[in-house]
Amino acid sequence: MKRVLGVALGVLTAIGGFLDIGDLVTNAVVGSRFGLSLAWVVLVGVVGICLFAQMSGRVAAVSGRATFEIIRERLGPKAGLANLSASFLINLLTLTAEIGGIALALQLASSVSPGLWIPVAAFAVWLVIWRVKFSIMENVTGLVGLCLIVFAVALFLLGPDWSKLAEQAFAPSVPGSESAGAYWYYAVALFGAAMTPYEVFFFSSGAVEEKWTKKDIGQSRINVLVGFPLGGVLSVAIAACATIVLLPRGIEVSSLSQIVLPVAEAGGKLAVAFVIVGIVAATFGAALETTLSSGYTLAQFFGWSWGKFRKPEAARFHVAMIVCLLVGLAVLVTGVDPILVTEYSVVFSAIALPLTYLPILIVANDEQYMGDARNGRVTNAFALVYLVIILVASIAAIPLMILTGAGA
Amino acid sequence: MTRRSKRFDAPLPVLEPAEQYAGQVLDARLHLLDRQVLDRDGVPVQVVDDLELSDVPFGESIPSETPAPVIESILSGPVLGTRIFGGRPPSSRFHRVSWDRIAEIGIAIHLGVAGSTLDVTWVERWVRDRIISRIPGGHHDPE
Repeated sequence: MKRVLGVALGVLTAIGGFLDIGDLVTNAVVGSRFGLSLAWVVLVGVVGICLFAQMSGRVAAVSGRATFEIIRERLGPKAGLANLSASFLINLLTLTAEIGGIALALQLASSVSPGLWIPVAAFAVWLVIWRVKFSIMENVTGLVGLCLIVFAVALFLLGPDWSKLAEQAFAPSVPGSESAGAYWYYAVALFGAAMTPYEVFFFSSGAVEEKWTKKDIGQSRINVLVGFPLGGVLSVAIAACATIVLLPRGIEVSSLSQIVLPVAEAGGKLAVAFVIVGIVAATFGAALETTLSSGYTLAQFFGWSWGKFRKPEAARFHVAMIVCLLVGLAVLVTGVDPILVTEYSVVFSAIALPLTYLPILIVANDEQYMGDARNGRVTNAFALVYLVIILVASIAAIPLMILTGAGA
Repeated sequence: MTRRSKRFDAPLPVLEPAEQYAGQVLDARLHLLDRQVLDRDGVPVQVVDDLELSDVPFGESIPSETPAPVIESILSGPVLGTRIFGGRPPSSRFHRVSWDRIAEIGIAIHLGVAGSTLDVTWVERWVRDRIISRIPGGHHDPE
């Protein structure tokens, strides 16, 4: 019974933890402009993150080594440092977007300007990292994040023409009002939003924090293989809501209030209350994960002691996280639009994906690290297909960004 | 392979393999450099930035009976820049952990001593004493 509860809890937190500000914004933008014609990208992204997260979790559980220790060890200092700089900056960009997201959600709830909420949000994130145990932090934000299921409920309440939605999703084509360049630019963005690299830093370091061993691999595999696809279903529900309500009226998503508009239309005040709680939990959870990831990447590269579970012994790790939060805060205080930061962060995530993916794939096949828990043939076959997809997305991202003027 | 350090870049003389290997064979680049070093309790201490070999006279002929150089210590120091762009910091800038402190070499290098007794962790201790312990709650782990 306890085991069943453990599995259920793990799956539920994985669903709630899957969505972050990047998924919310990108799916709503895509839904409002392209309908469900990009839903297939969410599927590709979800299979990719399952493969990738499962692999990095297994490497961490078997070898006890987290992602960035492996990156430096395998790539050496030159390529490792280039990798660290790119991954760290993109993670910092995502962290900034998440804190902005918390502030925007709280603004919806309170009508207090986000400029006032931003310092509060950043301080709250630090306080939780400083004081709260790792497992409690993960479970609470994940479970409360489940409130976002209200997007799926709203979809049913809106009573859409299901056959039309299915046609868009299963026979995708570029809508007449949009250029092919913009279509593929948002395909890359959606892929980056589903497969953000921080989830991998966090997943593997979290496995070390929670002292996973080989015994825990099965449980983590269930969490990932059930939880993430259901999170992906929620992503598609967000896009579908935007397709039904925003697309026909030509409303372009440029703020959080437009993302929740379909929910308000379908379910009224109660549904909006749920969606706001859900967004706060999802962005807060992701802000915790990206803040920790910034500490993890730096500490693991330079060989500092790290881990939430060892505070006094991991002093540099904690100082690094405080500095990163302050940098994110400083960026937001300039008045930059968090939604815009989010849109760029998901595209840059797609660009950085090969940097973390390749070293993990190599080490997951290394006998010295993995013993008999190495990748099987099926995993490697999938992994090679994804290596190609990730490389193509990464290489195409910048030219597409320039050609389309960032999707305009 | 990337260029690592001057020490390994010098053209290598052709060496006869030793008659008998006594135990595990390690490749310095593959198994030692850039590996994580953990202390007695599994706490990360440093990454192996460089290795220090026992003195090999430079520019002199070496008598045939001279024993092969051995690794004396693993080094940690400000070498990230020099390993990327070349050059070498003076040897006084390195922290040394003597080779005999190493208990086990696997996918990480395990020391047989507590990290807090080593000079290399002074920055960590300084940050802890001067910054972290002054923040309320900084003396203990999260509840």
